[in-house]
Amino acid sequence: MTKHDEGRRAFLVGTAVGAGAAASAVLVPEALAKDHPEHHAAADAPAAAPSMGHSMASMSGGHGAFFNDDDRRTITALTERLMPGAPGMPGATDASVTNYIDIALSGFDEDQQFFYRSALTQLDAHCKQTYGKAFRGLAAEQQDETITALQQGKAPAFVWPTAQAFFTKVRTHTMEGMFADPVYGGNKNFAGWRLVGFPGAQPFYTPEDMQSTKAFTREPIVGLQSRSKEG
Amino acid sequence: MATEKTDVVIVGVGAVGGIIAAELGKAGMKVVGLERGPRLKTEDFEPHDELRYFERQDLRPSPRRDPVTWRPNANARANPMPSLNNGNQAGGGTVHYGTLSWRMHEDDFRVRSKTIERYGKSAIPDDSSLVDWPVSYAELEPFYDKAEYELGVSGKGGNIQGKKIEGGNVFEAPRSREYPLKPLLVDQSAVLFEAGAKKLGLHPFSSPRAIASEPYNGRPGCTYCGFCQAFGCHVGAKGSILVTKLPEADATGNFKLITGAMCHRVNSDNTGKVTGVSYYGPDRSDNTIEADIVIIAPFIYDNTRLMLLSKTDKFPNGLANSSGHLGKHIMAHIMANVFVTFDDQYVNNFMGPSAQKHTIDDFNADNFDHSGLGFIRGAQLSIGTPNLQGGPIAFSTVGPPPGTPYWGAGYRDFVSKYYARHGAMVAQTENLPFPDQTIDLDPNVRDAWGLPAPRVTYDWRRPSERARVEFVQKKLAEIGQAMGGPHVWPTPVSPAGAPGAHHEGGTRMGSDPKDSVVNKYGQTWDHPNLFLIGSSTFPTMGAGFNPTLTIQALAYMSADAILNKYRKNPGSLI
Repeated sequence: MTKHDEGRRAFLVGTAVGAGAAASAVLVPEALAKDHPEHHAAADAPAAAPSMGHSMASMSGGHGAFFNDDDRRTITALTERLMPGAPGMPGATDASVTNYIDIALSGFDEDQQFFYRSALTQLDAHCKQTYGKAFRGLAAEQQDETITALQQGKAPAFVWPTAQAFFTKVRTHTMEGMFADPVYGGNKNFAGWRLVGFPGAQPFYTPEDMQSTKAFTREPIVGLQSRSKEG
Repeated sequence: MATEKTDVVIVGVGAVGGIIAAELGKAGMKVVGLERGPRLKTEDFEPHDELRYFERQDLRPSPRRDPVTWRPNANARANPMPSLNNGNQAGGGTVHYGTLSWRMHEDDFRVRSKTIERYGKSAIPDDSSLVDWPVSYAELEPFYDKAEYELGVSGKGGNIQGKKIEGGNVFEAPRSREYPLKPLLVDQSAVLFEAGAKKLGLHPFSSPRAIASEPYNGRPGCTYCGFCQAFGCHVGAKGSILVTKLPEADATGNFKLITGAMCHRVNSDNTGKVTGVSYYGPDRSDNTIEADIVIIAPFIYDNTRLMLLSKTDKFPNGLANSSGHLGKHIMAHIMANVFVTFDDQYVNNFMGPSAQKHTIDDFNADNFDHSGLGFIRGAQLSIGTPNLQGGPIAFSTVGPPPGTPYWGAGYRDFVSKYYARHGAMVAQTENLPFPDQTIDLDPNVRDAWGLPAPRVTYDWRRPSERARVEFVQKKLAEIGQAMGGPHVWPTPVSPAGAPGAHHEGGTRMGSDPKDSVVNKYGQTWDHPNLFLIGSSTFPTMGAGFNPTLTIQALAYMSADAILNKYRKNPGSLI
């Protein structure tokens, strides 16, 4: 569990004590939250997310540090299309990329909050103009079309930030959330490092390691606060 | 507000400042060093963290707190550069650098004469201020040697006293003796690069780096963890100023380091001498140090900026600027990349020192015939890691090969398959000096102390500059093909023309006070007790070589001149 998660749990517990039953709904067992399908719903079953509403977000861990629930769904859908999961290949949702971005925007990147707010508003406007729905409600193919339009600067609803600036920023944040140490809230259970075969912050490599033309498996993955259970 | 007196004050305690502090302190001079950042310890650097140090640049200045703005030409608006490559703490850039430690070639110091001899005057672009250096290789050799042994450079000589040696850099200038440490171990990308380059008849070798390949001067040998460029070394094997010269300066009892100290002015009197410096402390106090000798040694942006900020009625165009050349002739290495991937083996280039591991010097400087090419000079061609750092975030910045998307399932499959099976090559390309490439004070942007940000006006896209970059990138692609990778692709060189690495110039050295700011000792022509030392004094880039060892050799030469000449007879050293 990352420091942030600890902090957030402490906050939630405090809220529950103070605010009573309404807030206590968020205190679901961690195992249930982990297995809950909501994370995949936004990208894979687009129609589900909006109609399920706030209770779904709450059931899966509650409000984050910055995004509101709609924005969180949008970012989850967007980052999952940028780095989609597949059997044996963890994607953005598996790695908790949204959590990484949420924490980044409430901390190190707090000066980009307005950038994200404006971009998400523009993204919804673009998608409603084009498809009659918000991004998080689109089918995967439409989401991909939208991302291509952002990348190519062909989304006229964008003024500031530009569509391309937003694409670049979200892509960068997605990669950071996939590949930064789990202490920052993404790369959950080293999902990103497993995907590419990066063994983390190994303190040393031997001459034999250097000579090998095989994947490195001598040691488990090493993170700032933990190691993976297997190599 | 505090005032103190000392013999010598040094602004910026990095590659230059650390050496000068140790040398002058050992000789009994009282030295105060000012450093705007903190003093970190080896223990601060474990474990390694790519987000914090590479992506968020924790050991470098913050573009928000310490902005440096850039514009391609005088008609464009300048914006803060998104990232900076210099250091922000005691030890300066040597804390996080990739440690490449090169000597320039002999002819690099007489580049104008040599170019005219070989190709005629017309080979030099009319608008370039290409000049010979006021110092020769022979003069600098003893100081190169000293820097290599003091800091601990690992490598294999390719020319010892004129004898060429296979396996070393056969293009290098004659060295008086072998490197102090044997070459570092190679990773698999270097093995493939070596084989590919040899197939083409080129001369690959293990790059000389200030990383101890075995225990040296009480420091342990490299562990090959792969976290070098952008990171501090977690065992102290990197020969950074933090673990080499600062402890030495401390031991003299004559050195005092003040951290969190932002120098904002060099003070001067009406006789033309400087009297000391003023700095803001971490509590925002404005403090003064009076000193007999002032040595300015931050990264190049602040050399020029401080001179401009220190203007007086007597020196209305800034200190050290009677020539009008202050802030001019800025240069940068342009980094052209080529990537190669392998299907049948792992490469694991996240292992081993991360930057420019293996090199060919065949297409650098004037080591090849430029007749008919339309440009002069060249590049250092090396294999290493993307952005000189081998973590997966760095790899995610690489544009994939043609036909592979930049996001989505296709991109996921690409990173999944090739992160641990790729080679990353870079052509670190020399740029010529031009007087209209400048640093001055930004009229709009200010830093966290309220000082005008340094503004860089710079563009590498002149036709002859572009032609050089295209040529060396093509050479890299040929090596990639010879390495046998099924996919070899170049990535675009920043189309926006944003500045590259290793900025140099702004206070160029020369032999004539009319067209240069300092002499070869870094002593300003206008103020004999004011020295500007570092790559801001480079009149040309020298080569496609990383500048640090030359900076350090010049620092040793300046320290020697201050101790053995200036101290006896304060005044112009020339």
